[in-house]
Amino acid sequence: MADKIAMYVGGGLVVLGVVVIGLLDMLLGAGHPVNSEGAIEHAAVVPIDIRAGIILLGLVVWGSVAVYKFAAGPAPTGTSAGQAPSGMDD
Amino acid sequence: MVKNAMSTQSIRTRFLGTETSYSVSGAWLSYWILLLRLTAGWWMLHAGLDKIWAWPFDASWFVGGAAQGTILAPFVTPFSDGILLSFVNVAVPLGQTAIGIGLILGLLTRTAAFFGAYLMLFFYFINGYGGGWAHGMVTGELLGIMVFGTIVALGAGGVLAVDNRLREMEPFENTRLRRLLG
Repeated sequence: MADKIAMYVGGGLVVLGVVVIGLLDMLLGAGHPVNSEGAIEHAAVVPIDIRAGIILLGLVVWGSVAVYKFAAGPAPTGTSAGQAPSGMDD
Repeated sequence: MVKNAMSTQSIRTRFLGTETSYSVSGAWLSYWILLLRLTAGWWMLHAGLDKIWAWPFDASWFVGGAAQGTILAPFVTPFSDGILLSFVNVAVPLGQTAIGIGLILGLLTRTAAFFGAYLMLFFYFINGYGGGWAHGMVTGELLGIMVFGTIVALGAGGVLAVDNRLREMEPFENTRLRRLLG
């Protein structure tokens, strides 16, 4: 369950903030993305603060699930010395 | 003629509701994850030792200055003076050094990478906001978070790592503590 929350919610928010909103900005935003000083102009469809907040939330979900899995998840199984256990093994 | 001894692993799993299967070269995966660990490890070790070499380190410009007005300000600016600032001044250089050593040696790899990502989260949002996101939303710091996340997810402490020895030791044997390793 924790893995699914990390994958769907955490990953979903990060991809939404980075890729989906970025694509929307390109398609629906105004103007050239780079100004004369080489800086990217955010003629944003979604305000940049909200976009950053969405990404932050996604990263926090990932981090929280990692902490939860350590604190409350069952011990990893089926690994022997020399083998790297998977992070998604339960 | 020398035979190609590189083994190929088949990944077969159910992921986001669909069956997924693909092949990876075990040797290349091990090789690449080791390089990723060493590179990210030196990144952190260098950053930490730089601060220790030039001691005293003062983070007030970052937690008290650069962080002002950013999305992380409510969490960061309380650390901009007094004993909390003193804590940050020590914790950041020591933390970066410990993360670097952990990643390079493969010692408590997953823990080191987790805290690497945690630290990078502050750099990403504070530098990003401070610079008006003029370099876009995907910056070196965000890629840093993804690199540390990759190390966490792939268990990079299984390749030429101290973690392999720790797994055989009693406190880490068949316990939740194994998650701290790579």
